[in-house]
Amino acid sequence: MSGLSIPTTSALPSSQLVPASHPAVTKTLNRLSRPSLLSLVLDWLDERNKDSTAPYLVEGGSDDEDGQDLYPPASSLEELREIWSDLQARKGSKRDAVDRIIEGDWRDGISLYQLAMADMQYLYDHPSSQKWTALKIVHLASEGEPANSKLKSIPRFHPATFLRNLQKEVPPDVKAHYNLDRHTSLPLLLLRIFIVESPYNTSLALASKQQTTFDSSKTFYIAFPDDSPYVYVSLNTVSTVAGQTASKSDNKSLRKLTLEGIPKAFSRPRERYKLEPTNMSARNLYALVDRRGGGRTNAAGGGWGIYAEDRKDGSDNPLNIQFPTPEISSPEPDTTIDTSPKGLKRTLKGDDRVVKRRKLVAQGRFGNSAKADDGKGIEKFDVRIEDLLLSLNAAEGDENDYSLADELGGEPVKRKGRRSTIHLELQNQNDGDEDVAAEGFRPKVSVSFLGTHVFAGIRDLVEAGIVDGENMPGWMTGENGVSLGIVKDGRIKGYKGSGL
Amino acid sequence: MSSIADESMVEDVVGAKLENAIASLQEQISALKSQRQLQTAAILSSHATKATLRRLKESQKQSTFERDVPTDANPLLTASKNQLLHNQQNLYRACGTITTFKIRDPDPNAVDNGDVLGIRIDVSTTGKFIKPYYVMLNKPFADSQLLRIHRHTLPPYIPLAHFAEKYLPTGKGVSAMSAKKVAGGKRQDLRLFMRALRREVVAYHNRIAVIKSLRREFKLDEKASRKGKDRERVIADISAADAEAKQIRIEWVDGKVGRCVVDDKGNVIKCVIMGEVGRDREIERAVVGRIEGIGERLKEGIY
Repeated sequence: MSGLSIPTTSALPSSQLVPASHPAVTKTLNRLSRPSLLSLVLDWLDERNKDSTAPYLVEGGSDDEDGQDLYPPASSLEELREIWSDLQARKGSKRDAVDRIIEGDWRDGISLYQLAMADMQYLYDHPSSQKWTALKIVHLASEGEPANSKLKSIPRFHPATFLRNLQKEVPPDVKAHYNLDRHTSLPLLLLRIFIVESPYNTSLALASKQQTTFDSSKTFYIAFPDDSPYVYVSLNTVSTVAGQTASKSDNKSLRKLTLEGIPKAFSRPRERYKLEPTNMSARNLYALVDRRGGGRTNAAGGGWGIYAEDRKDGSDNPLNIQFPTPEISSPEPDTTIDTSPKGLKRTLKGDDRVVKRRKLVAQGRFGNSAKADDGKGIEKFDVRIEDLLLSLNAAEGDENDYSLADELGGEPVKRKGRRSTIHLELQNQNDGDEDVAAEGFRPKVSVSFLGTHVFAGIRDLVEAGIVDGENMPGWMTGENGVSLGIVKDGRIKGYKGSGL
Repeated sequence: MSSIADESMVEDVVGAKLENAIASLQEQISALKSQRQLQTAAILSSHATKATLRRLKESQKQSTFERDVPTDANPLLTASKNQLLHNQQNLYRACGTITTFKIRDPDPNAVDNGDVLGIRIDVSTTGKFIKPYYVMLNKPFADSQLLRIHRHTLPPYIPLAHFAEKYLPTGKGVSAMSAKKVAGGKRQDLRLFMRALRREVVAYHNRIAVIKSLRREFKLDEKASRKGKDRERVIADISAADAEAKQIRIEWVDGKVGRCVVDDKGNVIKCVIMGEVGRDREIERAVVGRIEGIGERLKEGIY
């Protein structure tokens, strides 16, 4: 609730029409595949959406229209629905369907709501088209305020109130259109914010502006997972039009304003919130819901996930008298297995026992997470390693609030060897930034893991014997639940155990 | 050509049949195995077995000759011991509900040699034990016994961070549980922490259970019966309005909407019901009270 309130600030209405000839309309519609486009049109023709997605209809047939009309207007919704259902059954090109929409049934214009629906459909069709960053909503304690019971609860999300408050945060020379949608398969509420730079909220704002008004970079998405103190915001870093630096910076500031508006919209009198970064971003919403959602898995990643998952056989029920048969325990006594990765690869390849053992190790480290087909993959994982290269003296005055683990003694050398195997697999870059502090030589090594499912890839490497599963540091299993981090002494630094 | 194709077809059919047979046999094997396990557990836990085994143990001690004792007695004794331990653990889990166990952190760089203390909270709701909640603690600070939460499986609506801050602070001047309390300093207290945590978890599940039973009471989850002999439906919906289920939303068929706030102890402390003509104070007064009694008190007002 800002101090200033300008009475003219209001959102763009959903039924506001955009001229059908507008290039943005064609672009938005053409992005969709034909089946989704057709099902979308049928949604538009639904009785419930009549108000904001009404097609062009002519009462009592089209006698007075010229015969040249390629798409004679229908007289009723039912008739039109039939036409489009026919189209769905038949084969045809997407182009025809788009043309029919633009030049025929919606020749008067496409409403903002329709555009929003089309964009949402695109998002569902291409789940990885947006990069999401998870932010935590934290209570903003005023000075000297004692920890009270209110601090405990997670902020309540009420869509209507939130939108009203957010609208108040939007500057008056900018108009936005909001569209809320429930995600089809995830416990998420998706908010699409579409920003138009114009002080008016009438058709003037949409018609008179140049084409860049509908740049996709003016569309932001915010996802609200259920029962969770996090929000995910889409990072529109991809600028579609090159060479428009001015507009880009505008978008940035708009984005910033929107971001700043989110915690304010959550806040209530005497209950203020702010957003905190959580070092987690991914294209995959499923991964985010898993790591920053409302469930149990937030702070039990990697191998710890076995504690958070359902046991089908009820073996974790205290009323089960059956003595649990250990699934993974007692790996065969390792007798003469050469544990150096290269040795494994060369000499013992194909040895069943070794393969089995490696699988067990991977199971122990990753649990049931990081499977290639679990659909929870993140596509990028960045770490900067700041480990001691040579442990001359176990650091005493470490500014980190951890002290070094006992086993640090010979550890870095060993890890160095392990890391060199990753060099083969993954891209690696050294900053060359060498600082020899009093505590020892800590070169900064940045490692980026890229792929469709980074941790599944690492698991595969462990199972293939390329990465030594037992000496692999914990952050490589993804158990910290971050996509960005600094590793110090083999652990993700500043990561407070479980995000507490 | 055709004969080859035929042959392969025949082979396919035979192969499919065999595979089906194998699958069904394997199913049977696993069913029998689980049955055997169940029987083993039952036999091993029975009183008669215990008595027999005790006698066996004694005879083992007394007998100087190896041949007096059956050769397979030892695995049997170990199995029995394990089973009894398991039973005891289950007993503690079911009755004490907070149990601890040790975990080894597989991370080679883990603090404190990878020693992790696991704490399990078993909660039963509506007559069933649900999936346990876990909190894992480690000691990340050298030369200090201070605990810190390492991992946990508590959902965000349980205010774990709040309790951790209160009972397991890790800042300056904090002493560990085993240490003596320094004047003016804080001290970690795992016992209070777990007690508060469990209380919160149980309270949450109780609230959820009450909301469920309210829904059942007003037949909200059943398909509306068309017979007409049921009393007319008055409540349209009852649901938790927030993640912690501390606010309950009640909707009436006539358009009234109510919201009530439940405190930690399960009392409805505040209630607002808005109807078409303003607040309905009479029902508001009825709703305030113990959360379990909402349904009854509402019905009194209705019928």
